[in-house]
This record gives sequence, C-alpha cells and structure tokens, in this order.
Amino acid sequence: MSETSGGADFLLESRGVSRDLGAWVVGLAFGRDGSCGFGLGDGMVHVARPGQPAEAWAAAAAHDGAVLSLAADAKDGFLTGGDDGRLVRITPDGTVGEIARLGTMKWVEHVAAHESGLRAAAVGKQLHLFDAKGEALKTLAHPSAVGGIAFDARGKRVAASHYNGASLWFVAAKDGKPRVLEWKGSHAAIAISPDGTHVVTAMQENALHGWRLSDSQHMRMSGYPSKTRFLSFTARGKWLATSGADSVVIWPFFGGGPMGKAPTELAGGDGVLCSAVACHPQHEIVAAGFADGLVLLAEIASGKVVPVAAPGHGAVSAIGWNAAGTHLAFGTETGFAGMVDLSRR
Amino acid sequence: MAECRDMPAAAVPHAAPAPALTRPGPFAPRRRPSHIPGQPNPAPRSPRMSETTQVPVTVLTGYLGAGKTTLLNRILSENHGKKFAVVINEFGELGVDNDLVVDTDEEVFEMNNGCICCTVRGDLIRIIGGLMKRRGKFDGIIVETTGLADPAPVAQTFFADEDVKRATRLDAIVTLVDAKNLPARLADSKEAVEQIAFADIILLNKMDLVTEAEAEEVERRIRAINPYAEIRRSTKSDVPIDAVIGREAFDLKRILEREPEFLSGEDDHEHDGEINSLSFEVSRPIDPERFNAWISQLLANKGQDLLRTKGILYYANDDRRFAFQAVHMIADGDFIGPVKEGDPRRSKLVFIGRDLNRPVLRRGFEACQVDAEGTV
Repeated sequence: MSETSGGADFLLESRGVSRDLGAWVVGLAFGRDGSCGFGLGDGMVHVARPGQPAEAWAAAAAHDGAVLSLAADAKDGFLTGGDDGRLVRITPDGTVGEIARLGTMKWVEHVAAHESGLRAAAVGKQLHLFDAKGEALKTLAHPSAVGGIAFDARGKRVAASHYNGASLWFVAAKDGKPRVLEWKGSHAAIAISPDGTHVVTAMQENALHGWRLSDSQHMRMSGYPSKTRFLSFTARGKWLATSGADSVVIWPFFGGGPMGKAPTELAGGDGVLCSAVACHPQHEIVAAGFADGLVLLAEIASGKVVPVAAPGHGAVSAIGWNAAGTHLAFGTETGFAGMVDLSRR
Repeated sequence: MAECRDMPAAAVPHAAPAPALTRPGPFAPRRRPSHIPGQPNPAPRSPRMSETTQVPVTVLTGYLGAGKTTLLNRILSENHGKKFAVVINEFGELGVDNDLVVDTDEEVFEMNNGCICCTVRGDLIRIIGGLMKRRGKFDGIIVETTGLADPAPVAQTFFADEDVKRATRLDAIVTLVDAKNLPARLADSKEAVEQIAFADIILLNKMDLVTEAEAEEVERRIRAINPYAEIRRSTKSDVPIDAVIGREAFDLKRILEREPEFLSGEDDHEHDGEINSLSFEVSRPIDPERFNAWISQLLANKGQDLLRTKGILYYANDDRRFAFQAVHMIADGDFIGPVKEGDPRRSKLVFIGRDLNRPVLRRGFEACQVDAEGTV
C-alpha cells in the first residue's frame, strides 16, 4: 500500500478504481445484477462493473437536465428520475428506456424499486406506482410535496414523507387510504426499519423523527448541526446510522432504544460534517463519507476506523454497498466517483 | 441574518452540540424558540462559500394581471446571453419553452413547530437544492409568486434554510403594479399592500393606461407605504433586464456601499393606509447593547407587524457604520466601510409595517443613544 500525506493507507489506492465524472454525483446504487450506477447532475448515468477499469464504465444519457434520484431497479439495472419530468430505466449495459413522462416542467424527485417488480416515482404531491412491465398501477396523493420515499423490506408497504408527517400505504390495498404518521414540520429523507416496525424521517429542523408503528410512540432525535440526508439501518435493524453531524451518529434500536438512549458516535472529532452513510448489508459496519471528501469504514462495536478514500475530491454526496458486501462505491459533489473491492484475497 | 436560536443552521456547524444531547420522547412540551435578532457585533460567520459563488435570486411579486408573466416571457425570450432558472406556479401562462422553468405549488410551512418568523417556502428549498446539482451555473434564479402571495415566506426562506443560504442570495424583491388598478387593489387587498411594502424595486406598469396626473397619484400612494423602493415606470413590462435583475437591492449593506444616502431624506409622506413607513433619526452615537436589547424585544413582540426594518447606525467608539435590516422577526446586520470625513453621524432607522406607534418607537430608538455629555 502506498503512503499518503496524512500517513494513512487508503483502500482506494490499493484496492479501488476511481474516475472524475465531471458532475455532481446525485445518487448511486448497486443493481441486483451486481453493477453500480452513478446518477449525475448533468443527466448522465455511468455504470461501473466490479473488476472493470474505470475507463470501461458505460455511460448513458438518461435525462435532459439533471438526475434527481437513482435506485436499483426491480430485476437489474437502475431507475432514475430527472428534472425533465421523466422516469427512466437504465440497463446494466447502459441502454436507456423511458417508463413514463410524469409532467412538463415537473420534477421526478424520488424513485424506488422493490425486487417484487414494484417501482415508485414521486412528482410533487404524487407518488406513482408501476409494475414490473412498467404499467402504471396507481397514484397515491399526499397533502403536500413528497420529501422522500421508501419500500419496506417485503415490498408490501411504501412510505412517503411530506409536511406534517409521513404516509404509510399498503401497496395492494383497495381502499386507498394511508396510515398517516403525524408530526408537525417538514419531513424529507425516510427509512423503514428492516423488520418493518419503525419509520424514521429527517426533518428540516436538523432532527430526526420516528414512529414505532405498534403503538404510534413518537421518537425525536435531535442535536444535529445540519440536515440529515442519509438514514441507514444495519442489516438486522439493530442500529440506525445517520449523516448530518461531525461524526457518524448511530442510534440504538434495541433494548428499548432509541428512547432515552444516547447515540454512539464514530469517526468524529475533526470538525468535518459527515455527509453520507451506508450500513454494510450483513455486518455491523458503516461506510461514511464526509464534507471534505474523506471516506471510511467504521465498525460499530469497536469504533475501529479504516480509511477508504482521502479528502480532497469534494463533499461525499452518495455512498453504497453491493448486496454481497464485497464492494463499496461513493461519489462526490464535484463529480469524483470511486469503487473499492473489499473481498477477501 | 440572525436566527431563531432553535435553528442550529445559523450556528457554526462544526461547533454545534453532538446529538448525544437528546433523549428521544416521551416528550416534555417543546420549548418555544427565542428570537434574538442581529447582534451589533456579528459573531464570526460560519464557513460558507464566497459570495461570488452565490446565485442571485430575484423574487417577482405582483397582483394578478399586473404583468408578471409578460415580464417573465420578456426575460426568457430576450437575447441577453444569460441563463436563468425560473420557478413558476401558474402553469400554462408562460409561452416560452425553456428547460429551466420549474412549475411548483407554493408550499408555505412553519419551521420550529409554528414559529412565525420561520415560515418558509418548502418547495423553494427543494427546488434550489435540485438546481444546485445541475451542471453549469446559472446567472440567476427568478421566483414568481402567485398574485395573492405574502412575500415574507419567500424572503425568509433565504435566511432560514442553511442550504439555500449557502447557495444563493436574495438579489431583490421586485413588485409589479398595475398603474390603472392599483388604487382599487389597495382598497380591497391586504396582499397588494404587503407586496408594495416588501418591495425593493417597484415596476409601475401599464403606464399607457393612465394620465400623468394619475401616475403621480399612484406613486404618491406607493411612497406612503414604502418610500424606499425604487419606482420604475413601464408599459407592457418593457424594461431592460438589468433594471430588475442583478440589482443587489435587497442587501442593505450593498445598497449603502453604492448609495450612501439611501435612507436619508425627510419623513414627510402622507400616511393614508394601515401599512405605512416611519423613519427616525438621532444625533448621538448608539450604544450597541441598548440598541440590541431594544430591537430584540421589539422584533420579538411586534415582528409580525413589522414587515421590513432598515437602519444605519453609528456606534459609540466605532469608526464604521452598521447596516441593520430585518424581515419580520429575522434580523441581520453588518458593518460597512469607515465613516467619511464630514459625515454628520446621524443614526437612522426606518420601519415599514402595520399599526406603527410613532411616539413609542421614537422614544425607544432615542433611548438607544449613549447618554448626552454632562448627564449621568
């Protein structure tokens, strides 16, 4: 491994590939086929395959404008929403196919998909659902603009955050009424715990709000110096890792927590905001990106930190793992993208 | 701008308390945010992009039929070589095909659990966040409000949201006025009055429909509400684009750097409406602590009725001038260049608002002066 100026060994240099993609990395995801899509602020999606050199990544012109949201599609490839009002599917080889046009001068701000074939796209107050073939299933209306969407692990429910709370819909329900989780204020990023028992949102006021669905118990997690954009549960839902503080803030969702419990803070201390987090798909390890471009892995139990990428390439704006947990990818606001191979050698 | 103290956004990001502080519910009743407007001695600013990278935002207000859409079409179709993102809310009226036009529903919400000074436009926060990710910079963003909109939430969005504040600056609130119909609107619409009260620049439009005498009367009515806005006459919204965009007319510090006499002039307007303006001048230097205590209290208690407050202050023992301004309860202040030779050093404060009590405000401001020599 090479020495860096900071003295730390960064895994990106020994086990990774990276490339300057030239525009804000708005989102990334590993597709269910194993490839990784980077959605950019110039409307492009770059598709990277583990093992490939970065020069070989496929490029697809997905949107006329910017990609606003990117998710792994139901079977393979990626789903993107753009500020051209389109919902688009990108195949692993970089072919672009339009699923729907959802409005002139409207933005498709959030997309999500479930392996069952369900796709969801939010435009303003509306959440459109599509099936595996791309046929429109239904449109779910909310009282105000949707700030974030999430499917539960089984794909039975979809949650959408908005002003004054979140709506939890049964996808297959006929009556078309959501369970409304109320809390005054503007809610954006949203996550459902892996066991489907909790919903957590990130609020405008630099705080999280949560609901325990069994008894509608409220949870309020505050003290963040900036907005939280990333909410990521560990595989079995024991911990919730969050961005928005100058450390990786991890709330315990066991033993009665997070009520009355303090969070665990990892990799803090140097006064730089954590801007993105993603929990490992199996182990209790969290990958985190910071506003100065630093990317690292932190083990929750021990607090041990492993540096992945050095600071200096822009604030980390996207981060994610492949399903096997062998590859980690990240992207930054200035368009730097990297992928690291963490598999045993 | 100063802040609701409940909003860590305005605090120094890296020094804020760790999330460990909090015990998630069951809850005690939420504490109401305290409003502490601008400190005469501004705290060190939190790290932010240099101002040159902030995209200027022009807010376009005006009653229905005043000519906003015509002006927007003109700005978008004119060959000025500039690139503007436009946020509209009345889809279909705009006849220009432009990929940077965003159609949105105005979504006003209260931050901090109902704090009025933190009423912001949620849709703008989302849209500006999205625009910043696009490749290629804009020369500006233009936000059109609906005819019935209160301009305050739009203005406050530029101070209440950390991301918006970092990426953009409010350039000017431009209000279009129908010269023929303004008297009727002032009589029947609270919003029409507020839009004039908030304006930095007023476009007196449809001049072809009025006589010179009528135009003068309308200007007199406008001046009675807001004597500090620049008034520009036009027909069919036909003004050079640089008359309304890139004006730096919102930020008092910038205005005073350009026009040192901006707030001067006697307060001799006739006041014939519920909303009007008052200005006060004092000759002795201002005690920063007294001023801060008084204005904090005033904005906290009366901020809902104080639409805009602007002032230029000469502090005791300081050779710089201080520019103070507030939108409702959100206040801001900054020192501007050294006092010039021969400057009479008279501090001035102007209020545009509703039900202003002249004697009370005068006494309050006068009491912010340092004690006169020879008194105890």
